[in-house]
Amino acid sequence: MNEAIVAFQARCGEVAKECQKFCFMSRAKELQAEAREVLISLEEEARVLKEEMIAREDEDSANAALSLEAMMRALANELGMWIALKEDKPGLAWDELISAQNTAGMAMRAHDIADNLGGYVERLHIMEKLLFPPQMFFSPGMVIDRSECSICGKEYSECDHIKGKAYMGKMCTRIIKEVKELREISVVYEPVDKRCRIDKIIDEGVAREPLSGRIISDTSAE
Amino acid sequence: MSIQITEYIDVRERAVELGCNPPTGLALLPRNYDIAGSKDDLVYEGSTLEIRTLWRQARISETQIEKEGDRFPHIHERYAEWIGPVIFISASVLSQDPHAVSVALGVLSNYLTDFFKGVPISSRKVKLSLVVEDVGGYKRIDYEGNVEGLARLPEVIREIKNHE
Repeated sequence: MNEAIVAFQARCGEVAKECQKFCFMSRAKELQAEAREVLISLEEEARVLKEEMIAREDEDSANAALSLEAMMRALANELGMWIALKEDKPGLAWDELISAQNTAGMAMRAHDIADNLGGYVERLHIMEKLLFPPQMFFSPGMVIDRSECSICGKEYSECDHIKGKAYMGKMCTRIIKEVKELREISVVYEPVDKRCRIDKIIDEGVAREPLSGRIISDTSAE
Repeated sequence: MSIQITEYIDVRERAVELGCNPPTGLALLPRNYDIAGSKDDLVYEGSTLEIRTLWRQARISETQIEKEGDRFPHIHERYAEWIGPVIFISASVLSQDPHAVSVALGVLSNYLTDFFKGVPISSRKVKLSLVVEDVGGYKRIDYEGNVEGLARLPEVIREIKNHE
């Protein structure tokens, strides 16, 4: 791995350790916001380094930089969650937590420098259960005729890339191009995308936001 | 972990009936292979695309049941668990190259280990079906469990073969 990445990794490790000290409810909001800013600037540095490694065609280092970028983003998202909770914005707090979970997972899949994040990922999932009431989600079931690879642009079934793996600093995704049939929209407890949550529940004519329990509007509830 | 073994339809006869290539070695079958009304109704699990690519990269040969020019669509479901394709294992593979099954499943296990990185351990659920051909007919093995449990499947296949 490139020396600049090794040095940057060490710096990220130190900063992450310091910033994690603010990942508690009792910590002051302004200190959490400051820590979040430090992480966002490191994330930007990681992005610049990643571009350098891509220009050098050093795939291992580019993927390591992508992983570091995601690690800094995940921690910034977690701090964002704590701040949003204090600002009484449960919807935003939820989105920040789910982003932290997803981004930490991406960091782990991008490069094995993030293999030690297993405990952190478990912690983020425990927080979901402790800080928020159980949620329900939508999950679509579709029949796909054609999809494209985000890395090479070819038909996904015909290229050699695998979705969820990193290639030269970029995560491969499958871009759906043609849907043959929308089969179902299911209500599930364990979806892939936890941002597709039900955002209004109507009970006895009263609509409530499921995270806060607040009444949204009496007139819209039918 | 749960492993269920049931009888399955005659895979080769069904391929002829549907106008597909009868599989001769390892093959990936559409999820509704046994119940589809016609070839136009066949749908693969979404994970088939990745398994096909991984097997190709590992030089594991697969009989594609699609005839030239045919392309079956894929289902896209957003559940947290990983639902694998239906893997067909012919009698010739079991008698002439039984090691190929372990290699093919090993490639799958390695992929899933990476796939589940960042997923809490309690949510790492795998569903996979195998259809095994032998002199007594066709048996379907439905597996539900974690990635580590996939290592038991070659032994289950051997038990089915020895029982025939």
